[in-house]
Amino acid sequence: MKRNKTSPLSRAFLKVMGDEKRQAITIPLFAVFLSLLAGAVLMLLLGKNPVEGYRSLLQGCGMLPKAKYAGGKGMFTDFMSYLDIWTPMLFASLAVAVAYKAGLFNIGVSGQMLLGGFIASITVGYSGLPAVVAKPLTIVVCVVAGALAGMLIGVLKYRFNINEVVSAIMLNYIFQYVISFFILTFFVNPITRQSETVSAAARLTMQDVEIFGMKTVVPLGFILAIIAVFVMQFFINRTRQGFELKAVGTSRGAAEYAGISSKRTILLAMSLSGALAGLAGATYYLGYLGSIQPKVLTTTGFDAIAVCLLGNANPVGILASSFLITIITKGGTYMNSSIGVPQEVSSLITGLMLLFAACGVYIRARLKRAKDRQEQEEKEAQQAKKEGGKA
Amino acid sequence: MDDYIVEMRHVTKRFPGIVANDDISLGIKKGEIFALLGENGAGKSTLMSILFGMYEPDEGEVYIRGKKVETFSPNHATALSIGMVHQHFKLVSDYTITENIILGMEPRRRLGGILPVVDVKSADKKVAELSRKFGLEVDPTQKIEDLNVSMQQRVEILKMLYREAEILIFDEPTAVLTPQEIEFLLEIIREMRRKGKTIILITHKLEEIKKVADRCAILCRGKLVDVCSVADTSTKEMAARMVGREVSFELEKEPAKFGKPVLQVENLTVKNDDGFTVVNDVSFSVRQGEIFAIAGVAGNGQVEIADAVAGLLPAAGGTIKLAGQDITRASVRARSEQGLAYIPEDRQARGLILDFTLSENLLLKRYYQQPYCVKNVLHRDKFDEKSRDLIQRFDIRSGQEEATIVRSMSGGNQQKAIVAREIELDAPCIVFVQPTRGLDIGAIEHIHEQILAERSKGKAILLISLELDEIMNLADTIGVIYNGQLLKTAPADSLTTNEVGQFMMGVKE
Amino acid sequence: MNDIIVNGMAFSLPLFIIAVGGIYSERSGVTNLALEGFQGAGAFFGALFVTLTSGMFAATSQLPMYLALVVAMAGGALYAVIHAVLCIKFKANQVISGVVVNILAMALTDFLTSQINTGVLGQSSDKFVLTVSGRWTIQPLASIPVIGGFFTNVYPFELIIIVVALVAWYAMYRTRFGMRLRACGDNPYAVDAAGCNVARLQFSAVLISGALSGLGGMCFAYSVFGNYSTSIYTGYGYLAIAAMIFGNWKIPQTLGACFLFGFARAAGYALVQKLGMPSTYSDLIMILPYALTLLLLVFFSKNNRAPRALGEIYDKGKR
Repeated sequence: MKRNKTSPLSRAFLKVMGDEKRQAITIPLFAVFLSLLAGAVLMLLLGKNPVEGYRSLLQGCGMLPKAKYAGGKGMFTDFMSYLDIWTPMLFASLAVAVAYKAGLFNIGVSGQMLLGGFIASITVGYSGLPAVVAKPLTIVVCVVAGALAGMLIGVLKYRFNINEVVSAIMLNYIFQYVISFFILTFFVNPITRQSETVSAAARLTMQDVEIFGMKTVVPLGFILAIIAVFVMQFFINRTRQGFELKAVGTSRGAAEYAGISSKRTILLAMSLSGALAGLAGATYYLGYLGSIQPKVLTTTGFDAIAVCLLGNANPVGILASSFLITIITKGGTYMNSSIGVPQEVSSLITGLMLLFAACGVYIRARLKRAKDRQEQEEKEAQQAKKEGGKA
Repeated sequence: MDDYIVEMRHVTKRFPGIVANDDISLGIKKGEIFALLGENGAGKSTLMSILFGMYEPDEGEVYIRGKKVETFSPNHATALSIGMVHQHFKLVSDYTITENIILGMEPRRRLGGILPVVDVKSADKKVAELSRKFGLEVDPTQKIEDLNVSMQQRVEILKMLYREAEILIFDEPTAVLTPQEIEFLLEIIREMRRKGKTIILITHKLEEIKKVADRCAILCRGKLVDVCSVADTSTKEMAARMVGREVSFELEKEPAKFGKPVLQVENLTVKNDDGFTVVNDVSFSVRQGEIFAIAGVAGNGQVEIADAVAGLLPAAGGTIKLAGQDITRASVRARSEQGLAYIPEDRQARGLILDFTLSENLLLKRYYQQPYCVKNVLHRDKFDEKSRDLIQRFDIRSGQEEATIVRSMSGGNQQKAIVAREIELDAPCIVFVQPTRGLDIGAIEHIHEQILAERSKGKAILLISLELDEIMNLADTIGVIYNGQLLKTAPADSLTTNEVGQFMMGVKE
Repeated sequence: MNDIIVNGMAFSLPLFIIAVGGIYSERSGVTNLALEGFQGAGAFFGALFVTLTSGMFAATSQLPMYLALVVAMAGGALYAVIHAVLCIKFKANQVISGVVVNILAMALTDFLTSQINTGVLGQSSDKFVLTVSGRWTIQPLASIPVIGGFFTNVYPFELIIIVVALVAWYAMYRTRFGMRLRACGDNPYAVDAAGCNVARLQFSAVLISGALSGLGGMCFAYSVFGNYSTSIYTGYGYLAIAAMIFGNWKIPQTLGACFLFGFARAAGYALVQKLGMPSTYSDLIMILPYALTLLLLVFFSKNNRAPRALGEIYDKGKR
C-alpha cells in the first residue's frame, strides 16, 4: 500500500498547532479562527464589509472608539456596560465547567439563573432593605436557590439514573412557566409587561454613577466573578475535592474503586454548578437587567456551553473565551444598528464556534496521526540515508 | 508451492509506535492444523486479522489458494471461505443464537409475496442441523446473554461453519475454558480437520499445540522466528524460541507458614443489578502467609466476590470480616484503611484513571492523607516524590516518569503501577483478580514473584484467576466456584488440575 | 371529552414519530439529544418550501402541505448529517454533539428565516406563515360516543404518521437492515465481524432519525403553532427523548408514553377552559408534560435498559 507523503502545508500546520500541551490552546484558537472566518464570509454574502463588521463588534463593547457618542456617554461607559453583561456570562460558564469536570452536562444553567433571580427579586428585591444588607442577601439567596436546583438534578441523576440533560431541560421549562405565571399574576409591571424593577439597594449593578463626567453603570459582581475564576482554578487543581471531582468525571469506576463516593461528588458538583448559576442569575436579573421578562429563558446559560467548550473547561481558559464570546453577543447589537448586519449573525458565529470546538477531539486525533506519520517518514528517511552511506 | 492454501509473503504491518508484523512469510497447507505461537504482543492476532481482512498489510502480499488477495475486508475473507473466532467473542447479547449466526447474511422470505422479511424460522432449522452435524449441540432460540462462555464459543464456531468456512482461525480459544472443555474443543478441531478443513490455532499454550497441531510458527516481537514440525520439536525448545531465552516453568515457593485468619467470608451472597444471585452462600477464610485461590470459569461469580470484599458491590447476605472486624457494611475507603489492598480485574476501567498522570494514579489510595493533602489542599511535590520512589522500586517504565499520562503506558507497566500502589499500602490482606491477564511472560514472572514475596511477608492473599496454571502454581488452598457457589475447598497439593477442572464444570463429589 | 381526544392525538402522534427517530439513532448506538434541533430544522425546510412555492398552488390546495411534510423529512435528514458526521466520523462526544446541534439549529434557522423573509420575500418577519391544514371528520364513525373523538377533526398528517411509523416498525424489526442496525447498538464489533459496515448503518440511522424528527416538527408547525418561527424549539424534542426512555427504546411502548403525555396535556387545557380560569393559568398547564416526564422518569429510568453500546464511540481498530 502506498502512503501519501505529508505535504509541506500539513507540516507547517503541525508546527503551528504544537505538541499536545500546546494544542489545548491552539485547537480552540483554531475553532475561533474558523468561525470568525465563516462569519466574515457570511457578512460578505450579505454585502457588508467584514472588517467594519468586526470593528463594530469591538466598538459596541467599548474597546474601540465609536464615531460619535450621545451626551454623558463614551467608550468608558460602553466598556462598563460590557463588563456588566460579561459578569453573568463568566459565572454561567464556570457553572457549566464545574459540572463538566465531574463528567456532567449542566444545560440547566439558564433555568437555575432564572430561579435564583426570581426568588431573590421577590424576597430581597422588593423588600426595601438597606443596601448593606440587601446586596449580600441577594447573593446568598441566589446561591442557595441555584444550588438547590442543581442538587435536584444531581439527585435525579444518581438516585434515579435520569440523564441530567433531560432532567435539566424539563426543569428549565418548569421554572420558566411557573415563574412566568407568578410574575404575570402577582409581580407584573403593567406598562413594561415585565416584573417590577428591583430596588436600587438590592441591585448588584449601580446605575448612573458619575465617573470622568460620564454616567455609567458599575457592576459590582464583576470583581466577584474574577475572584471566582481564580478560586475555581485553585479548587480544581489543588484541593482534595477538586481532585475527587475530576476523578469521578474521568472514570467513575476507578474513582469508586479508590474510595471516592461518586454520589457525594455528583451532588457536590451539581450544587456548585447550581450555585454559580445562581450567581449568574443574581448578576443578570438583579444586576444587568433589574427585572425579569416572563416566558423567556436567557440564552446566557446556553452560550455558556460554547464558552466552556472553547475554554477547555479550564477557568482561566474560560476567562478568555467568555471575554471573546461576550464581545460577539453584546457587540452584535451595535453591529446591527451601526452597519446593519443582522443580529442573528452574531449568534450564528457563536453556534459555529461551538460546532468547531466540538470537533476538537477529531482535530487532535488527526494531528496525532499526521505527526506519527511524519515521524515514521523521518525515521525511514534516516534509515535510508544510513543504508545508503553503508553501501 | 501451490499446495499451500494460504500463503503470506513479506507481510509487514505497522501501528503508531510499533511494528506489529515485520516481514513475515509463511505457508499453510490444506487440511492441516497450523499453530501460531507467541507471547502477548508478538503479533499473532494482527497477522491473523490481516488474513481475515480486518487490517490491510502495509507491505507484502497474501495468497489464498494461489490467488493474490486484492481487497482486505472481512466480507471478502468470508467469500474466500475464511472464518475467525475472535478472542473476545463478537456476539450480540440480546439476540438469539440463530440471529447471531445469520447476522450479515440473513435469509429472507417474502411476506404475502411482497415484503421481504428476515426468515428466522428456516434459519433456526438450518442452525440446528449444522450443530448436530459437528457435535456442537445448541438450542438456536436461546439468547446469547443466557449462555455461558463455552456455549458462546460454540456459537462463534457455528457462525463460521454456517458461512461454509474452509479455513478456520481460532484466536486463543482455550483461554476461558476448563480443562475438560478444552479437551472437547480440541476434539472438535480434530473432527473438523477430518472433514477437510484447514485450521489455524493462535495460542501461547504449548501443550495444546503439542496435542493437536501439525506444524507451528513461532513469532517473537513481530518477527517470525521459526516454523517447525510439532512432532519433532520439544515444548522446551518452542518456549525458548517464543521468548527468546530459556524459561523456567517452576516458581520458587517457600514452604507455607500460616498464621491467624485475616479475611473471613461467611455465607456471602451477592446480587447483580438485575437482582439475580451471582454469589450464593460462599464461605472461606484466608490466613496470614496463605494464598487462597478461587478457580472457576469466567462469569461464575468470582469477580463479584472480590468486588463485594472490596466494598464495590453490596453484600445481600452474610458477613465479611477483616482482621476480626466486621466490614460487611463498611465503605470502600474504610476497608482500604483497615488493611485491604485490591488489584482489580479491569485495570483500565477500575484500577487506573487513564487520563490522569502516573503520579496521581500511584497515589490514588493515599491522595487525601498527610503529607499529600493537608487541610484539603493537595501537595503535588509530595505526590511526585513518593511516585518517583515507587517507579524506581517497582521498575515502572514510562515516557515521562511520574508526569506520564497512564493511557500512553503499556499494559504490563500499567499493571506494575497498580501492583506497586497496592503493595505499598502494606495491607495485611491483598486481593488479586486476574493479575497477569494480557501480560507477556516477563511481566507475568515479575508479578508472580511479587505475589510470592507478599506471601513470605505473611500477607493473606486472595487470588482469583481464570488461568488454571497460575492457580496450580501459586495457591496454598484452592476453592472452586461454580454458578456462584464454592463447590470444593481443599489444600492445593491435594488436588490435580483435572479434578479442579471437574469442579469448575459443576461436577459434585 | 372529544376535545381531549382530538387534541391529545394531534399532539401525541408528532411527538411519537420524533421519538421513533430517536429510537432509530439510539438503537444503532448513537446517543441522540439532537432531536430538538432535527425537528426544528426539518420544520424550517418544510415551511420554507411552502413559503417559496405559495404562488404556485391554489390557496385552498392541500398539496403544499403534503409536499411540505416530504421536504421536512428530507431537510431533517440533511440537517442530521451534522450530528452523524460529528459522532461517527469525527468521534466527538455524542452528548456534546447533540447539544451543539440543537443550539446551532436555532441560530441557523433563525438567521435564515429572517434573511429569506427580507431578502427573497421583501418583508421583515421572523416567521413563515403556513397554509391551513384541513381536518377530517369521518362519519359515521365520528358519531360513536367516546371513540368518535378519534375520527373527529383529524389532521391528515396523523394518518401519515401512523403509516410512516408502521413502515419504521417493519424496517426495524423485520428486515435485514433493522436487524443489523439494532445489533450495532448492542455490539458493533459483532456487526463488523459479520461483514457489515457499522459506520454506514449508524450514519443511516441518524439520517432516518433526522427525517422522522423533521416530519414530527413539521406536524407541530401545522398543528400547535400554525406557522414556523423559532418558537418551534419548545423542548418537544426533549419530551420525545423522555418518551423513548420511558418506552424502553421500543416502538410500541413509546407510543404509549406519547399518548400519556399528549392526553395529559390536552386534559389540562380542557380543565383550564372548563373551570374558566384566567389565561395566565395556562402557563401552569404548560408544565404538565414536563413535570409528568420527570415524574415518570423517576419511576422508570432505573429499570429500563438502554442499548448496551449506546454512546460508545465505535473504533474499528479496538477489540
